[in-house]
Amino acid sequence: MKGTILALLLMACAADAAAVPALQEELQETPLLSQQVATGELAPIARRLPDPPYVDTLSTTQADTEQGQQGGSIRLLMGKAKDVRQLVVYGYARLIGFNDRMELEADILEAFEVEGNRRFTFHLRPGHRWSDGVPFTSEDFRYFWEDVALNTELSPFGPPVALVVDGRLPTVEILDRYTVRYTWQNPNPEFLLALAGPSPLYIYRPAHYLKQFHVRYADPDQLAQRVEEAKIKKKQWTGLHQRQDHQYKFDNPDLPTLQPWIPVTPPPSEHFVFRRNPYYHRIDSAGRQLPYLDEIVIDIASGKLIPAKTGAGESDLQGRYLEMSNYTFLREGAKRGNFDVRLWSSSRGARVALYPNLNANDETWQRLLRDVRFRRALSLATNRHEINQVIYFGLALEGANTLIPASPLYRPEYRDAWARFDPEQANRLLDEIGLQQRDARGIRLLPDGRPAEIIVQSAGESTEETDVLELIHDSWMEVGIKIYVKPTEREIFRNRIFAGDALMSVWFGLENGLATADMTPAELAPTSQQQLQWSEWGKHYETGQGMPPDLPEAQRLLALYRQWRHADQIEERRRIWHEMLQIHADQVYSIGTVTEVKQPIVVNRHLHNVPESALWNWEPNAFFGRFRPDRFWLDPARSNSVAGGQ
Amino acid sequence: MKVNPVSEHFVSDKPFDPNSIEQIDPEQERLYLASQWRLMWWVFKRHRLALFCGVLILLMYLSILIAEYLAPYALKTRHTDYIYSPPQPVHLFHEGEFIGPFVYGWGYELDMDKLLRNYSEQRDRVYPLSFFCHGDPYEFWGIRQADLHLVCAPEGGVLFMLGTDRLGRDMLSRIIYGARISLTIGLLGIIVSFLLGITLGGFAGYYGGWVDSTVQRITEVIRSFPELPLWMALSAILPVTWSPLWVFFGITLILALLDWTGLARAVRSKLLALREEDYCMAAELMGARPTRIIGRHLLPGILSHLIASATLSIPAMILGETALSFLGLGLRPPITSWGVLLNEAQNINVVAIYPWLMLPVIPVIVVILAFNFFGDGLRDAADPYKH
Amino acid sequence: MAYYIGRRLLLMIPTLIVISFIIFVIIQLPPGDYLESYVAELESQGESVDPGQIAALRSQYGLDEPFLVQYLTWSTGMLHGDFGYSFEYGLPVTEVVGDRLFLTVIISLCTILFTWLIAFPIGMYSATHQYSWGDYGLTLLGFLGLATPNFLLALVMLYFANVTFGISIGGLMDPQYLDADWSWDKLMSVLQHLWIPVIVIGTSGTAAMIRRLRANLLDELHKPYVVTGRAKGVPPFRLLVKYPLRVSLNFFIADIGSMLPSIISGAEIVAVVLSLPTTGPILIAALQSQDMYLAGSFLMFLALLTVIGVLVSDIALALLDPRIRLEGVRTS
Repeated sequence: MKGTILALLLMACAADAAAVPALQEELQETPLLSQQVATGELAPIARRLPDPPYVDTLSTTQADTEQGQQGGSIRLLMGKAKDVRQLVVYGYARLIGFNDRMELEADILEAFEVEGNRRFTFHLRPGHRWSDGVPFTSEDFRYFWEDVALNTELSPFGPPVALVVDGRLPTVEILDRYTVRYTWQNPNPEFLLALAGPSPLYIYRPAHYLKQFHVRYADPDQLAQRVEEAKIKKKQWTGLHQRQDHQYKFDNPDLPTLQPWIPVTPPPSEHFVFRRNPYYHRIDSAGRQLPYLDEIVIDIASGKLIPAKTGAGESDLQGRYLEMSNYTFLREGAKRGNFDVRLWSSSRGARVALYPNLNANDETWQRLLRDVRFRRALSLATNRHEINQVIYFGLALEGANTLIPASPLYRPEYRDAWARFDPEQANRLLDEIGLQQRDARGIRLLPDGRPAEIIVQSAGESTEETDVLELIHDSWMEVGIKIYVKPTEREIFRNRIFAGDALMSVWFGLENGLATADMTPAELAPTSQQQLQWSEWGKHYETGQGMPPDLPEAQRLLALYRQWRHADQIEERRRIWHEMLQIHADQVYSIGTVTEVKQPIVVNRHLHNVPESALWNWEPNAFFGRFRPDRFWLDPARSNSVAGGQ
Repeated sequence: MKVNPVSEHFVSDKPFDPNSIEQIDPEQERLYLASQWRLMWWVFKRHRLALFCGVLILLMYLSILIAEYLAPYALKTRHTDYIYSPPQPVHLFHEGEFIGPFVYGWGYELDMDKLLRNYSEQRDRVYPLSFFCHGDPYEFWGIRQADLHLVCAPEGGVLFMLGTDRLGRDMLSRIIYGARISLTIGLLGIIVSFLLGITLGGFAGYYGGWVDSTVQRITEVIRSFPELPLWMALSAILPVTWSPLWVFFGITLILALLDWTGLARAVRSKLLALREEDYCMAAELMGARPTRIIGRHLLPGILSHLIASATLSIPAMILGETALSFLGLGLRPPITSWGVLLNEAQNINVVAIYPWLMLPVIPVIVVILAFNFFGDGLRDAADPYKH
Repeated sequence: MAYYIGRRLLLMIPTLIVISFIIFVIIQLPPGDYLESYVAELESQGESVDPGQIAALRSQYGLDEPFLVQYLTWSTGMLHGDFGYSFEYGLPVTEVVGDRLFLTVIISLCTILFTWLIAFPIGMYSATHQYSWGDYGLTLLGFLGLATPNFLLALVMLYFANVTFGISIGGLMDPQYLDADWSWDKLMSVLQHLWIPVIVIGTSGTAAMIRRLRANLLDELHKPYVVTGRAKGVPPFRLLVKYPLRVSLNFFIADIGSMLPSIISGAEIVAVVLSLPTTGPILIAALQSQDMYLAGSFLMFLALLTVIGVLVSDIALALLDPRIRLEGVRTS
């Protein structure tokens, strides 16, 4: 269902959720701002909204969402001051975003057209303004492209990678005040996905604000003085511009934004307040300007203490820093703290996955790890059911590291491939490879006489991971393979893998388990040095250094990925995805354990429109983003706990 | 009677028994002839608490040697069916009858709503505890295979006197095995620290001058650092490839390297005072080398103080190990030490729902208190000639 | 005397230079740099990173320069008040630290007061009633604080304070007062939150103080002048306080100097656990993420305070206690 709708949208013209044009008389002024409007400080609502605004009709079409009332303030807890950028993620105001049906839809843009994935035409909303009232026009796009991306001093490494296709830059045309067009020679299928991402690709800037820091527009003396005051290293204007130009960091109250809430508190602080953006472009179908909530407050506390604070009722909407193991504690505190604990699911391919390093330096081990029978044997020797029962109360889904059932590309055979617990077959495979000899402890011996002891590199972050590894250690001992878990600091962890010193590492599984055919399969092919099973090949793809893949299946994956990038039809993309998934299922490049681990989400009893159950992930849901926090509303009179339930 | 021709005094040549003037009884004789160490012991005995603590410490260190025997289960044993079990009560009387130590059957119900395991006794099943029994196999000191335990779970039953953790491992066994690492770190660390402190402090105090200055500057530099960053940095450079045992030694070394300065200062100041004494000068005049003077003459006088100081540093080492584990440096699972156990208990779930996982804090407190009182007693007794 | 002070001050300079170098080395010791730990952190949250952007940041922050150059930039900068820029916070170091110094000092001073309040009576009682059960009991109590691992105690107290009194967990005041002006409510909130860190940190310091007071007092109490006083009928308490206690207090005065750095950095681990807005957690986080200017400058500041503190202590001790020989070369 989802796939076909998505296909239609990408091929056709703008998704038009704003089916109903806003009528002037129907618009209602926001209570919080009415005084400012009365004194003339702020323009009345009709002039603050673009024409047409985005009309959120979800409350009339979906059963569990209702129209809300404006007002109220909620608190969130974060572990570091930097985390305030999560409000850009949660706010999810994007040029193009994913809607509730997982389709790409124009949000800030009024409409967009895509031709062959090469030419993208964007139409802005006339009258759309930045949070300080200055109009949002194509000038902001032009400024970014010509004065930031192409400026060799500001961007010595060129424009962002997502804008470069096969080494070529796009042609950017500013057609008029509200229309921009990007054209590439080769298809750029990841362009729209990047714009809709949780940490979005910004192709625009608040030009009117940043021009005062740009050497081309600012008064030279003023600029020099500003650079001096800000104590920039080497007194370069680029340093100052870069410091100010941080839409994602979200810690600069002076920087104009298009997000639903604007930062008000300058750093450093432990208590960050965000107020509603008077010029936000969305309204509900009753003509009230979104967001419903007037204010969001983010309190900073030590990450380890956040579950305790949440359990004491100090957070109104919390998912980050909460884990499955906190669920019982949160439930015990729910009544006193006046909140509900909902269980969403995570959507990673696996919660814990082991990555044999195909680029390991040790020759004997490299040969062994590259032998698919060895990897299959290890996967068969993993008792996923025990892991599920012991650590996840049996609530998780066992299987290999692949997509989750909610994905339209899911097939059960991918998840079951080599994933049942079968020590006899594992033993047989290992014997077949030639590891029949064992030492006194029962550990198999390698051809050169060494015992088969694998040091598994771990970033040492969670006790959950340690526990899973403990269980895996015991079940692998049954087939004669011993593992040692080596927790290290994160940088060392990655460096050792990059250098080929680590034989095996442990990390999360597939980042995007909820993929559709239009999402990039880059994770499945050797495309990045950060991939733990073949970082050498990934580095070759990124930088040209090192070695290209020399296993036929890996080469095929890379070729398929390139094909996907040039594929025009949705069917072809789907076919490519399935072939890549099948290769992974056969080759067992990573050993997955369980997935769909539950994620506790704490919601204040009086906060409405938060989904009862959903998938908690970075991409594509942007955690809360895709569920539109601007639609969440507080009703102090009504609590939404289900009787007899939580 | 002889008359001294020069002076008019008499020296009687009658036989004279010195002991006739003043008689000392055997008790006083013992006192006067007692060595420094025996005097110390006598004074120390008066401090009853210190004595008690000393015995306790000795017992604890002895128990390390037979940890495998004392623990009901082996270190790695885990019970998938008994996760997060609270401590199991041990009874003596069943329905009014005295049976001897036993436990009832033990099981749980899973509350799926709150994901909580509710454990309860099944009173219809009685499992008497067996002593000197054959239980989980282990490798005694890593050398010999054995399976004798002091007490183990009865056939078909389980024995979790202090509850279990999240993988179903018996807490009592983990605490006993953890003692091995934690207590040894303290002892080893103090030996290293001791040697460093005496050597450097001794030379500084004896020679004075530029030696003294240099050592003082070094100690100053080391003391100027807040401990934490130094720990963090040093722990970060421990090579990743080291086996857990070597990591353990590395941590010990790090803790010791930062600890010796206090001892060195104490040695130095005492030596500065003592070396002006006559016996020291006499030894020098007789041609003794400085190391001999320091080692044979000066140090014994202050050794008692040093031992007292050293003993009082052991608790700091044990706490240092727990602190390092807390920061994620130092020892980490799968090594089991009290610090690791406490670190695992350091979250709100444990405090609110599974409080028995905090029990390792009790042996930590007991050991630290014991060392403190023991050290106090030693120090009070250190200068027996004062009393 | 002046000569001595002058010499010590001069000696401080090479000491501080050596310390600064060692600090810088230590911060750079763990492999990688701030950007690598930043990338690693992003990766673990699932966010992806643009390699070009990272490379640009690296040259902007000056992390690609050789070690010595970075060291010289930093140390010469410190000499004229430029303590560098914190990568994590995006602000000059002085702003990040200075904001929290006030609260840190308050907590530390309260803790010290608390420690003295507890340690004095126990120490005095313990010395005068040696080996009695009261002695044992009170010293046990005093040492209990030392023996309990702070971080666990802090968490437990936090939880029970919340369940029993409804005090919000962690921090030094209810969140809404954080940036607000000082008011009666804010003060009440601070007091409510203050007692947990003060007790946790304070109790671990009482043991050391009890022990030293007791030892020093015992030394004094066996001296002949005390016996004389008692023989002459001076009441016991007055006898205790008028002479022996004053002499024993020398070391308190001398200790003040060495307490300076701990007043400023204040019990880092407990502060981390309790999520206090003090300088300790900043230091730890900076060290872990290799935010080198923040960590380096703060450590340098602490080191400076320590060195000054030691000097002050030594001078104070020399002034108060003429028995101590300051400098000694062998007379032979």
